[in-house]
Amino acid sequence: MMRTIFNHVAVGVLAATMGVSTAQAQDFPEKAITLIIPFGAGGSHDVNSRVVTSLISEYLGQPMIVKLMPGASGQTATAEAANARPDGYTLLFTHNIYDQLQKYTTQLPYDPLEDFVTVAQLNTVATCIVANSDGDFKTFDDLIEFAQDNPGEIEWAHSGQWGSGMIHAAEIMSRYDVRFNLTPYPGGGPALQAVLAGDADFTTVSPSVIQGLGSRIVTLACGEESDAIADDIPIYGTDLPLLEGVGVMHRIVMAPSDIAEDRLALLRQAFVDLQENDTFKSLMSRIGETESFVDGATYESRRAEQSQTFKELVIKLTQN
Amino acid sequence: MGLWDSYLASFPLLLQIETFAWIATGLFLGVFVGAMPGLTTTMAMAILLPIAFFSEPLIGVPFLMGVYKGGIFGGSIPAILVSIPGTGAAAATVFDGPALTRKGQSRKALDMALVASVIGDTSSDIITIIAIGVFAMIAAQIGPPELAAVILLSLIVIAATSNGLFVKAMVMLVLGLFLGMIGQDPIGALSRFTFDVFELRSGIPLLPMLIGLFALPEVLIAAEKRASAYVKGSLNLGKEARLTWVEFRSCLRTIIRSTGIGTMIGAIPGTGQVAAAFIGYAAAKNASKEPEKFGTGHLEGVAAPEAANNAVNGPTLVPLLTLGIPGDNITAILLGAFIAQGIRPGPDLMIEQGPMVYAILNAMIIANLMLLVIGYFTIPLFARVVTIRKSLLLPLTVTLAFAGAYVFRYEPTDLYFLVGFGLFGYACRKLHFPVTPMIMAFIIGQDLERAVGQSISIAHGDILGFILFERPVALCLLLATPLLAWWMWRRTVSMQRLASKMLTEEKTRASPNA
Repeated sequence: MMRTIFNHVAVGVLAATMGVSTAQAQDFPEKAITLIIPFGAGGSHDVNSRVVTSLISEYLGQPMIVKLMPGASGQTATAEAANARPDGYTLLFTHNIYDQLQKYTTQLPYDPLEDFVTVAQLNTVATCIVANSDGDFKTFDDLIEFAQDNPGEIEWAHSGQWGSGMIHAAEIMSRYDVRFNLTPYPGGGPALQAVLAGDADFTTVSPSVIQGLGSRIVTLACGEESDAIADDIPIYGTDLPLLEGVGVMHRIVMAPSDIAEDRLALLRQAFVDLQENDTFKSLMSRIGETESFVDGATYESRRAEQSQTFKELVIKLTQN
Repeated sequence: MGLWDSYLASFPLLLQIETFAWIATGLFLGVFVGAMPGLTTTMAMAILLPIAFFSEPLIGVPFLMGVYKGGIFGGSIPAILVSIPGTGAAAATVFDGPALTRKGQSRKALDMALVASVIGDTSSDIITIIAIGVFAMIAAQIGPPELAAVILLSLIVIAATSNGLFVKAMVMLVLGLFLGMIGQDPIGALSRFTFDVFELRSGIPLLPMLIGLFALPEVLIAAEKRASAYVKGSLNLGKEARLTWVEFRSCLRTIIRSTGIGTMIGAIPGTGQVAAAFIGYAAAKNASKEPEKFGTGHLEGVAAPEAANNAVNGPTLVPLLTLGIPGDNITAILLGAFIAQGIRPGPDLMIEQGPMVYAILNAMIIANLMLLVIGYFTIPLFARVVTIRKSLLLPLTVTLAFAGAYVFRYEPTDLYFLVGFGLFGYACRKLHFPVTPMIMAFIIGQDLERAVGQSISIAHGDILGFILFERPVALCLLLATPLLAWWMWRRTVSMQRLASKMLTEEKTRASPNA
């Protein structure tokens, strides 16, 4: 396996230096493709991208290079991708909150919905509400009941203003007409630590974290089914009247929307081929990711609608 | 299986030739990447992570450990030679490192950095192995109020030990706090002081600022001088230019103190290597009998930050290993590597895979010892860099500074920051304003603001009652702060008095002869 990786990289590097395409006869791509990531090194997007870039050169005939551009809640990277030439050599690896919600909470120098088009949804991650197992909260109903009797008393740790964790709390507050005390932490890890230390009552985490922590935490609800969680945990949308899109992060690859049709089609196909690759599948499952690929065209057709539901949520929240 | 049995069982897992070979490879790559300005250790680990995906657990993870340890040491190489901190952690090394280089002692300085790094790191790893439970408990006790109190305390320590006029230091400190506020605020994510300039939304980038403040003034000042060589006098790279045992002994106290400081800071989630390096430096200066020597090319000034920033490494792994929560980006990458190998860090890891955990911790110690060997042989090569003609060295430094500022996050605007802070740093040098309080305030001011904001949020408005009745640890720290500040201030004053007294005595002794 190690050897195949090195071969891929070697072929990619060779092709890049010689300026010739090895796998395809088309003139695209004839050089390395840059994948811009709006997060820092070590985040889950970064780790995912390492799997993608070590395998995708087989389908593109060219290497894909990761460019990490953290900062300003993803705006630095997204602006860079939006201003790049739409020639298919610059892609953006982002998620649905930045893509479909952020424009309603901040003034952006670009419009994600207008300026980008989907290449692929690589996978999804459910987020689950968890509490410290030493506490009194054992079920989702406990949470709601307490919140209704004690407005503003529940301490909710989240990973940043208008980030995924906060949207969860926001959605629950608006659906059940309750109020939490929201405190931002610099990332999901510190927020979870706050719950374990007893500084906060709830936070949201991914199923793989739940698996690692075992009996230290209790899971109250999840955005999506997962092998890592028990069957009786209520799921958003089906068991609870909560927006599905809130509890699931979509990891999506985007291209500037002015990209030529044939180039977009080629990129989309490369990702479709990639997710069928056995090495890709096994690596993704080893880093705890689910198989939840959606091709670019399908995701594109849902995108505007998802954005609309986010818009309604933000309007509801900011009115109160 | 008992802990001791687990510990013993870890050795057969680890003692394989492949493991050693991969650690060595990791160290080489790490030193190289760390030495390249702008390429951070985190980036190197992220790029090399796929290797851990495709190899056995006790090859991939120790390999990444090698990159990690090598990278942090590598960062001090350009800091010592040309005043460019290769990584943020090396920011405090530029105070005395380049001054030593100018004296022709680059090899000694690099040796000191290596030895201090390895001792700091190894001791903190050993302490971590012995007291992993204690560290896990401490980490669980630290919340935003305690963090805020610790940061405030550090800020006072650093302000009290800065060079020169106290008023100038305070001006720079306040300026640093202000610069740290530019961009989105840490609580509500609202833009502040950005004047609608999009590039300012994410705040001022740390590395371009550091490189600008330190490297560019160094180049400008060197260019002002007429000498054709950067190094004053002759640079001796022979055996006698190495660090001597006597010199090492004289720095041992400092190394031990910095190791303690670094280990404590590492145990507190939310601070980190940069803060540890500065505090280690400040503490060494405060404890020294000759604090005026700091900043002029003093070996202790290299030993203190290097031991402190490396001592952070051991305890930062504790939340990762015991809870599966990465405390920073480096541990997040390690988590990725662990999970890909089927090792799931968490409370049960010690019970289920005790030997494996100990094998990983031991791999860290082995990586340290190997770094000592690799460093010993590569330092002469690096030390030679500064012997090239000044007309080549200075342009090379400028090129590295620009490249380093750019690759940090590929943002062309960062080059404006680089040049802007370069000119500002030059002006500060000429006007004798110390830049350290500004940088420190810039870095930890942002953490302080977040922690205070969080504390107020958690307190549900009643911050005073919350601290008084519910957070005894934070309360004690807050009460200790003014006492410590007073003590340090007294010490500084008496030291200064002593120094000036000695100076006048010398003058009076010298005058009759004149």
